[in-house]
Amino acid sequence: MTWVIWRQYRATAAIAGAILAAFAVLLLITGLQDAARWHAALASCAKDGTCGNLAQTVSLGSGLLTALTTLTLAVPLLFGMFWGSPAVARERETGTVQFAWTQSVTRWRWLSAKTGWLLLAGAVFGGAVAGIVTWWYAPLNALHQHQFTPVYFDIQGIVPIGYAVFAMALGIAAGTLIGRSLAALAVTGGVFLAIRLVVTYWVRVHYMPAVTTIYSVTQNLPSKGAYWPLVQGVVLPGGQLSTSLTVGPGYIMGPLPIPASCPAGQDQPISSTLACMARLGYRSFATYQPGYRFWPFQFIETGIFVALAAALIAVTFLVVRRRDA
Amino acid sequence: MSSTTAAIEAHGLGKRYGHRWALADCTLTIPTGHVAGLVGPNGAGKTTLISLATGMLAPTTGTVEVLGGAPADGPDQLARVGYVAQNTPTYAALSVADHLRLGAHMNPRWDGDSARDRLSRLNIPLDAAVGTLSGGQRAQVALALTLAKRPKVLLLDEPVAALDPLARRHFLGTLADAVAEGGLTVVLSSHLVADLERVCDHLILLASSRVQLCGDIDALLAEHRVLVGPRKDTTAIERDHTVVQTERTARQTTMLVRLNGPVADPDWEAADVGLEDMVLAYMGADAAPAIAELTAVGGQR
Repeated sequence: MTWVIWRQYRATAAIAGAILAAFAVLLLITGLQDAARWHAALASCAKDGTCGNLAQTVSLGSGLLTALTTLTLAVPLLFGMFWGSPAVARERETGTVQFAWTQSVTRWRWLSAKTGWLLLAGAVFGGAVAGIVTWWYAPLNALHQHQFTPVYFDIQGIVPIGYAVFAMALGIAAGTLIGRSLAALAVTGGVFLAIRLVVTYWVRVHYMPAVTTIYSVTQNLPSKGAYWPLVQGVVLPGGQLSTSLTVGPGYIMGPLPIPASCPAGQDQPISSTLACMARLGYRSFATYQPGYRFWPFQFIETGIFVALAAALIAVTFLVVRRRDA
Repeated sequence: MSSTTAAIEAHGLGKRYGHRWALADCTLTIPTGHVAGLVGPNGAGKTTLISLATGMLAPTTGTVEVLGGAPADGPDQLARVGYVAQNTPTYAALSVADHLRLGAHMNPRWDGDSARDRLSRLNIPLDAAVGTLSGGQRAQVALALTLAKRPKVLLLDEPVAALDPLARRHFLGTLADAVAEGGLTVVLSSHLVADLERVCDHLILLASSRVQLCGDIDALLAEHRVLVGPRKDTTAIERDHTVVQTERTARQTTMLVRLNGPVADPDWEAADVGLEDMVLAYMGADAAPAIAELTAVGGQR
């Protein structure tokens, strides 16, 4: 069966491989440049002791490349729509299922071979893209510490593999249930986007209880590494929480007015305003997911999508076994 | 499996789609070693019966066994049954040689050499994409692929319906050669009775989703007679024999009957009946001719 699958997919696999190779070369060249720039900046800031505000002085990557790497969010979708959904549906549409299912290979084995290789291809291609993007983001992660926030989290580490496997399984299942590849393609796209959005913006935050910390308005959040900020604000002198004002060293933001008794304005240094607020009893608070949870969250999310994929594949097998061709 | 096992044996076999029965209460036996023609108007259930025997469809009621085994039940059963579906579906983008390789990878008893010989004798280029071949060539490719499986039972669903008369003759010629090599039982559906007459020795007639006739063609023809006589009361005939079809003109009555013995009444003149007339009489008995005509023009099933 392996040869049969290979013969059916080798042309598109070659195209996908070529695109992947071009993408890898582009990111390899620009990634090496970024890494060199990052190390040079570290060496020079260490000499004059300005490493604290590297984010303001060093610029890495480019708008185009960031956009390109962000577009890898759509890579699993392409696998699901163009490899997954036609896998069974196209054979039903053209009637070749009548040929495929009456050779000396049971439907069960035919489907095992097809889904097995497609899921593996999704995992390998998705993993390759994620690996390149993760490597490319290393200097930017070190500089901006943003890899735990949505979108950056979704294109790095191992979650893209989970998304790719899920999208492929979704495509295969939709194609099997609907039986028409164009409709299955649309359903695959819609369902994938919906589930990804829901998980990213509503489910992910609950994998582990978020941490809330109260700290001095004159300080930054005392959490190391790339944490995922969820809610930030101030604790008013009366003890109520307000998210209408966020403060920290060098910034005061929000519609809530700062207390009249504290000096503020163009001519006042922000640090003296903050020191005054601290004296009045203002404190900062933040709810966040600490940076050390990045990998646990990656594993949990990958596990969820692999489990969804497994359920979809199970449905596909039941449908193919029972349904009339 | 004993040597007396039938090629196909169905008991109370039925398939329902929604409220419509595509095939109902079908009980039949096709012995091994025969070439059976499956005839009936469009929508009579020919494709349904063949699809049930291949395991592409699951029955709503009853059972069907092919060579004593449940359809598509495991690789051995699949290997023993060859199937060419309606419109002979193939992978349009793949070449003939690719299809042969596909078959070699999916079948344990594959005989690719004979398929290659057969196709080269027909001047079908092996490196051409199947989508670029003519309908007749594509049907030949599908038949060659199925024969290369070396099946014991070959099920062909209207393989010649879309072919021109010459391609049809070539196709049936290839089929007859394969049968002559021995050990093969063939079920061939068609609504072209003349084609069946050329290759079949067994007949199954389906109409209105039911089996109307099933048996050896010569025996069936021997049992049927056209009776021509004066216009008179036919109750005596109807009591002794099975009247399939009656046509009355002002002066005479013509009947096709299935005999249960000799016709005693000397008023009736008995004549032999041809296969096509017999088949059409059964189809006509099932529906008024005008309606049968309409169904024949309507869509494929």
